Amino acid sequence: MKIIGDILATTRDDLQDEDGATVTYLIRKANISHSRISRILKTLVSHGLLEQVEDQGSNKYKISQTGREFLQAYYTFTNFADDFGLSI
Amino acid sequence: MEFLLENILNLVGFLVGLAIGIMALIGYRNTGSPTLFRLTIAFFSISIGFFVIWTSYMIEDFVVKSGSVERGIQTVGIGIQTVGYFFIAFSHSIKSFFPKSSYFRSVGILPLFLVSSVQLEHIFRSVSFILLAYGAIETMLSYFENRNKGTISISTGLGLLALGEFLGWYSFVFPESILYTISMTIKIGGLIALFIPLSKVPLTKIKFDEGLE
Repeated sequence: MKIIGDILATTRDDLQDEDGATVTYLIRKANISHSRISRILKTLVSHGLLEQVEDQGSNKYKISQTGREFLQAYYTFTNFADDFGLSI
Repeated sequence: MEFLLENILNLVGFLVGLAIGIMALIGYRNTGSPTLFRLTIAFFSISIGFFVIWTSYMIEDFVVKSGSVERGIQTVGIGIQTVGYFFIAFSHSIKSFFPKSSYFRSVGILPLFLVSSVQLEHIFRSVSFILLAYGAIETMLSYFENRNKGTISISTGLGLLALGEFLGWYSFVFPESILYTISMTIKIGGLIALFIPLSKVPLTKIKFDEGLE
C-alpha cells in the first residue's frame, strides 16, 4: 500500500516533465525492482489511477483524476490508521 | 444514578463505535486496506455490543419494568464488545509479531485462571481488559515512533476503557460500592477520547465510495 502511495505521490508532485514519469525514474523513487514496479504500474493503469503515455518509444506515467482522489483518501486514512498506532 | 450512567455509557459507546466503524469502512472501501477492514469489524462489534446492552436497558425501563436487566442479554452485549476489542488487539499483534511475544501470553493466562470458575460475563470482562490494555500499550508505543497527537488520544481512550473494564469487573467483589459508577464514568471518558481524533478527520476532502453515498 505504501509503495502505491509513493508511486502516485511521485507522479503527482515530483514529475521530471509535463509528459509524466518514466519507469526508471519511478524505480529510483519507489526503490523497488523493475519486475515488481511493472506489475504495480500495470495494475494502477488498469484501475484508472495512472495514465500511460507513449513518448518517443517509451512509456511515461501520469496520475489521473481518480488517482488524485485515491491519493487524497490514502493520506486521510493513513492518518486515521496512524491515530490507532497502525499502518494501512 | 447507576441506571442513568449505564444508559449514557451504552448510548455513547454505540454512537462512537458506529462513527469510527463507518469511517474505517469508508477507508476500507476506498483503499482496500486490511488494517481498515479489521478496524471496521472491531468498531462495528463494539458498537453492536453497546447497542445490545442499551436496548436491554431501554426495554427494561419502558416495557418490562421488572427492576433488573436480563443478565443474559448483558453478557451477549459484553461478549460482542470483546470480539471488537480482540480485533483491535489483533491488528497490533500482526504488526508486532504477536506469536513471538511471550509477555502477552504470560499476562493472558493469569486473569483467565483467576475467573475460570465464575460467570461468562466475568470472563468476557477480564478478556476485554487484557485486550484493551494490550491495545493501549501498543498504541502508546506507536506514539513514540510517529509522534502523532491523535495516537495519544486513542491510547488514552483504550487505556481508560481498560481501567473502566477492570473496575467494572472488580466491582463484583464489592457490589454496593461506588466502583461501578466510577467504572462507567471512566469508560465514558475513554469513549470520548477515542472520538477526538475522528472529529478532526477532514471529511469534506474525502471522496466517498459511491455505495456509501
